[in-house]
Amino acid sequence: MFDRAKFWRYIRYTVLSVALLASGFTFYLDFRVRSEFEGRRFALPARIYARPLELHAGLRIAQIDVVRELQEAGYGQGPREGEPGWFANDNDWLEVAVRPFVFWDGMQPAKRVRVAFDGGAIKAVQDAEGRDLPFVRLEPLPIGGIYPANNEDRVLVRLSEVPKQMVQVLIANEDRNFYAHHGFDLRGIARAAFSFLRGHGLQGGSTLTQQLVKNFFLTPERTISRKVTELFMAVLLEMHYDKDEILETYLNEIYLGQDRDRAIHGVGLASLFYFGKTVEHLTLAESALLVGMVKGPTFYDPFRNPERALERRNLVLRETKDRGFATMEQYAQARAASLGVNQKAAMGTSPHPGFLDLVHRQLRRDYDETDLRSEGLRVFTTLDPRVQSAAERVLERKLAQFDKGKIFGEPGLEGAVVITDSQSGEVQALVGGRDVRFRGFNRALDAARPVGSLLKPAIYLTALADPAHYTLVTPVDDGPFVWKSRGAPDWEPTNYDKTFHGAVPLRMALAHSYNAATARLGTDIGVEKVLATIKRLGIEREMQPFASTLLGAVDLSPLEVAQMYQTIASGGFRTPLRAIREVTTQDGRPLRRYALAVEQAFPPEPMYLITAAMQGVVREGTAQSLRNWLPPETAVAGKTGTTTEQRDAWFAGFTGDRLGIVWIGYDDNRAARLSGAGAALPVWGEMMAALNPEPLALPKPDGIENVLIDPESGLRADFACPGAVELPFAQGSAPVERAPCASALGAAVEGVKQQAKSWMQRLFGR
Amino acid sequence: MLAVAVASCATVRQPEPGAPIPVPAPLPEPAARTENLAIAGLVDGARADAAAGRLANAAASLERALRIEPRNPRLWQELARVRLKQGDYAQVESTAARSNSWAGSDNALRAENWRLIAHARDARGDAEGAKAALEAAERQR
Repeated sequence: MFDRAKFWRYIRYTVLSVALLASGFTFYLDFRVRSEFEGRRFALPARIYARPLELHAGLRIAQIDVVRELQEAGYGQGPREGEPGWFANDNDWLEVAVRPFVFWDGMQPAKRVRVAFDGGAIKAVQDAEGRDLPFVRLEPLPIGGIYPANNEDRVLVRLSEVPKQMVQVLIANEDRNFYAHHGFDLRGIARAAFSFLRGHGLQGGSTLTQQLVKNFFLTPERTISRKVTELFMAVLLEMHYDKDEILETYLNEIYLGQDRDRAIHGVGLASLFYFGKTVEHLTLAESALLVGMVKGPTFYDPFRNPERALERRNLVLRETKDRGFATMEQYAQARAASLGVNQKAAMGTSPHPGFLDLVHRQLRRDYDETDLRSEGLRVFTTLDPRVQSAAERVLERKLAQFDKGKIFGEPGLEGAVVITDSQSGEVQALVGGRDVRFRGFNRALDAARPVGSLLKPAIYLTALADPAHYTLVTPVDDGPFVWKSRGAPDWEPTNYDKTFHGAVPLRMALAHSYNAATARLGTDIGVEKVLATIKRLGIEREMQPFASTLLGAVDLSPLEVAQMYQTIASGGFRTPLRAIREVTTQDGRPLRRYALAVEQAFPPEPMYLITAAMQGVVREGTAQSLRNWLPPETAVAGKTGTTTEQRDAWFAGFTGDRLGIVWIGYDDNRAARLSGAGAALPVWGEMMAALNPEPLALPKPDGIENVLIDPESGLRADFACPGAVELPFAQGSAPVERAPCASALGAAVEGVKQQAKSWMQRLFGR
Repeated sequence: MLAVAVASCATVRQPEPGAPIPVPAPLPEPAARTENLAIAGLVDGARADAAAGRLANAAASLERALRIEPRNPRLWQELARVRLKQGDYAQVESTAARSNSWAGSDNALRAENWRLIAHARDARGDAEGAKAALEAAERQR
């Protein structure tokens, strides 16, 4: 029996439930649209910068190096009217239209400067009116970011910053009725349907709003049901937000290409990436190129497919003209323009992943990982691009060269480099392996390797801190040495040249890195005492109080070695190695500054003595071959290190301005058959030579006196002694006894000299 | 005249040419380098910042100056002064000591560094240490 009332009740229920479901769905979509659109819309990566190059009179830098840095920053050659970001040069001067930049301590506005060069240095820095300026900071080079999981990168822009014409180009080509429709465009859909029916697949017809919804909320599959959801959400978006808000979000969201593993999103980043300029300076032709790429950033990639990209751009330009957004004249001019893209090396998430790794780890001490990947923090680091590229270049080349002479096949030799400012402890360069662009195992930070003789300076420093017992000329016995300790096998260190050298002056034992003499010295002083010195030098890792520790049976990373040598290089003042100077918010508000902090770990006298002894290593010891790269006047202080079976080759050394650590070996610990002097030193030498190092000149502490010594006897010499050398001693610790070669007259002269000295001191106060 | 005689005595005998000379070269006189316009600009800026209480900015400017002239004891001293205002007394001591290490024969500068150290020790309640530092300052004359 047909029950009419029941039938209508069913119908009513059905309609009601469908309506409920539909409104529930709508409500859900509405919630998603609003919450995601209004909440944190874009995750912004932390942006990492190199150190800014500060130009000032007296700076030792060649013009070519400044020009290179400007080009890296996307500055073009030749004046451009009305916009900064270019330079012009002649032999002796360089004119730069410096872009504005928000530094940690405030905004530096755009300005025109003239820099005069004289040889390899800057003579003057002047403003456009010819007035001397104390200095000019160039904007620091971006060296990567800490990205959200999908590696999306973008630079947010306001709609007001985007050239009006660019918006018009976009609308003319992607969504002609944008300002009139309510999220969907019937004519567009009709066009798409027509194309679908003709068998061209489901495509096009999307309004900007729909495209935004698609990128924002939905997966890229193409089904009818997804199209319907997209349509719904687009309408909801239009109900809640005005056209400008939607447009601005679209311009920031749109995907515009790929830089290795980094995804380029939004017109803000795209204009920097493709043209090296901020979005407000984009020309009509440049805008058209970007808009043309919306359809297919890979297909129309102007780097890889320039012809296709040009054709597409010109099509976009014609459409723009036809829609009345460009005059015939503008059109003709834009069409005639070249692509104008900035040809530069792909950077990916960072061109220097090894250094970035260090920055990331230091940041993690103070910031949340999620904040780093989403809050758009700006991080100003200590990386010096010139030093970093020298380190990368030399390590790559030398390792390839060493590999050629090797019987082993793949994988080849590996290496790591750390270079710091010897005074401030700022890390200027860091290379974590021979493939310098590879982000992965970072040997500079994570490869703990036996350090061999690199620990020796700590032993000699401990000795020299006790001038009553040890001076640079104290004889130490380099005869066969056996160390017996209960529960451990006897320890019998041998020398690198397999011979023993008898009694040698302390400074020579270090210079030639004699193992037997060093082991005897270290055990005489006491292993615990030496370990305390190592700790004071800045090594935090716990070490076993075994005698073998003295000869470097200890694993350290190159960065740890750098920390230890830093304390020696800066005269006993320990400074934590730093890779970061400042952090600001996305809009430039300062968050944190990593200040220079020093701590006096050793008195100046023993530091002076150990440095003189380490200069001896280079002058007359195991690192003599350094003279192939640097003149003796540079007076480098250093130490070579080679471990058992030559598995690890090290060189650690410093000039007046930089400290460098180089490690070379195999990842799998094979015997590399390379010594510190043979492999690590050449890398160090070539690197430093490229950086025009300052000579090492230590301030002589009050408690140090120089005394002429006869190297034969190790006793006090005078003018009568051939080959006498002047050596530093802690006040009162120099030998008193006169060498056999010294003359009687010499004794008299010495007496007069001492008297005159004290007389002069009274007269002039010093 | 005597000075000339003494000077000629002082060069008793130079090591043979080519013979090793282990002693580091003498330090360039710090005063000769403070002509630098950039340093002057940064120090002026730092002083203005410090006077206005922007101590972090003052310290940052001095660190920039120190990157240009790391061996300038006056810059280290200026930084120690800012650290004193910041109340970072441990850093006052070590920064003033760093200044001393580059001070060469500038006794007035050393005396001032010791006075800064005395201030810092005093502020930490180390009266004994402060007194010793003041005595060290006196000895620089």
